Amino acid sequence: MQFKTPITIALSKGRIFKDTLPLLEKIGIHPLDDIKTTRKLILDTNQNNVKLVLIRATDVPTYVQWGAADFGVTGKDVLLEHGGDGLYEPLDLKIAQCQLWVAGYPDADTHVRRLRVASKYVQSARDFFHARGQQIELIKLYGSMELAPIVGLADVIVDLVETGNTLKANGLVPLEFITDISSRLVANKASWKTKHEDCKKFVNALRDVIEQE
Amino acid sequence: MDVKRWLLPEGIDELLPDQAAILEQLRRELLDLYASWGYRLVITPFVEYLDSLLSGVEQDLSLQTVKLTDQLSGRLLGIRADITPQAARIDAHKLQQQMPTRLCYIGSVLRAYPDSQSGSRSPLQIGAELYGHAGIESDHEILELMLATLRLSGLQDIYLDLGHVGIYRALAEYAGLHREQEYALFAAMQRKARPEISQLLENYGLSGPASEMLNALADLNGDATILAQARETLAAAPDAVHAAIDYLQQLGQQTSVPVHYDLAELRAYQYQTGVVFAAFAPGQGAEIARGGRYDHIGEAFGRARPATGFSADLKNLMALNKQPLTRQPVILAPAVADADLEKQIIELRTQGKTVIRELPGQADAISELGITHTLQQNDAGWRLVNC
Repeated sequence: MQFKTPITIALSKGRIFKDTLPLLEKIGIHPLDDIKTTRKLILDTNQNNVKLVLIRATDVPTYVQWGAADFGVTGKDVLLEHGGDGLYEPLDLKIAQCQLWVAGYPDADTHVRRLRVASKYVQSARDFFHARGQQIELIKLYGSMELAPIVGLADVIVDLVETGNTLKANGLVPLEFITDISSRLVANKASWKTKHEDCKKFVNALRDVIEQE
Repeated sequence: MDVKRWLLPEGIDELLPDQAAILEQLRRELLDLYASWGYRLVITPFVEYLDSLLSGVEQDLSLQTVKLTDQLSGRLLGIRADITPQAARIDAHKLQQQMPTRLCYIGSVLRAYPDSQSGSRSPLQIGAELYGHAGIESDHEILELMLATLRLSGLQDIYLDLGHVGIYRALAEYAGLHREQEYALFAAMQRKARPEISQLLENYGLSGPASEMLNALADLNGDATILAQARETLAAAPDAVHAAIDYLQQLGQQTSVPVHYDLAELRAYQYQTGVVFAAFAPGQGAEIARGGRYDHIGEAFGRARPATGFSADLKNLMALNKQPLTRQPVILAPAVADADLEKQIIELRTQGKTVIRELPGQADAISELGITHTLQQNDAGWRLVNC
């Protein structure tokens, strides 16, 4: 695939990067550097016009929204927190799949007045409980959320669940399902208009790859 | 003293002399341009009664409008977040002409939330509106005036994005969506979130052509060939959809820049009624000017008039225009009491030259003042000498 205009794709390190590379490889884009050893944050690819930038997952929507990258790959969980303003989300890449759950001790009552909820995903947690008219107290955490119910910091947590093993190891169980999560391709709105031909080509090629899988 | 005291609130900025000079130059040129097209300037108030300010645009602007209580009447006031509805009110109530009316405006607006792109909460909104004509000719005129605005602002490569809210509206009605569903789907449509769109349509129990057409809408964007594709894909759609596609094609053909059609682009969906457009520049992450048709806004003021218009943030346009300020000569007149000198100064100033009167202790600061000439006396009188 050849691009007429420079295209920058924002990826986050870790799982999304690992799972996105094979998809890009299938449409003929691969980084020139050895991804295991390089410390670069901007990677050149075999395509002159295509660059990859490596950033934190939560920063991907911001980079794309401001046009610092034309495309990005990020989890739906991150997009729900960000709000998705100013972005297009044309594709579900069906990678890094998991689910967002309310979790806690098996006997936890999630309908009590002013439930205390600890989460990294405050927006999603708020939306979920507010949608059923329930007022909650939110405690924003950045990690190790499973600890919160154990030490009495919160009644329940809202967290991503993939296998449920971490919850189990800490005596917790998934209680209420919130939503399915997977990685999305996001695009900058202005890039979509000004580099339309390339953008559409890229999205269509990726869509074909995903549909074949 | 705490240095934070001098900081401005988030999203609020100010222009220093050099920037202000560039902006003022551009402001004058633009208002002259609008005048040459027959658009007459209106100066709208910075605050108004909230219920008047939000008439017809409540859903789009309510959260964006900063409110305060009027100590005289006890009523709520709103600080304008958009001048367009004010201009519409002026057309409907103050002017009350039957003929098409052309108005333009410039002024600061205040937004409760920063614009997601520039971060500004106080854009300097400049724009033009045409009331009282419902045809393609007025949309075309407004579109070309927007492009002329951008060219005069020094922008070369402009991309135009054209859409029509009538398409989505007619399809939503055809599908029998109720209001809440229509807006939920609209939000997904704005993000071209194909997976969510399919999911929502499934949740609404839609199938058959209505569902297929709404599903396809998010992909109907591109150059003029997309319109032919749209006619095919949306063949079963109500006549209003086909009329809108014809309208877009006709308008696009008349336009002087490359056009990108996007049938799912809806922008200020609540108050727009017809064609919507936006201008983009390469390297800019967001639109630099926008506009469209909003025929029903006048209904809230008791006098519905067809309306179309555009607006842009002049501070943003200035930032995109990289032309440096051209410095005018600055003349220094010595601190001498002399009738001839006074006469000379008045004459120079009348000619439009800048003459600075020297003040005691100012002599050393000549370079800082940007002085290019001084007035010096010889036998023949006062004359200009280069510095």
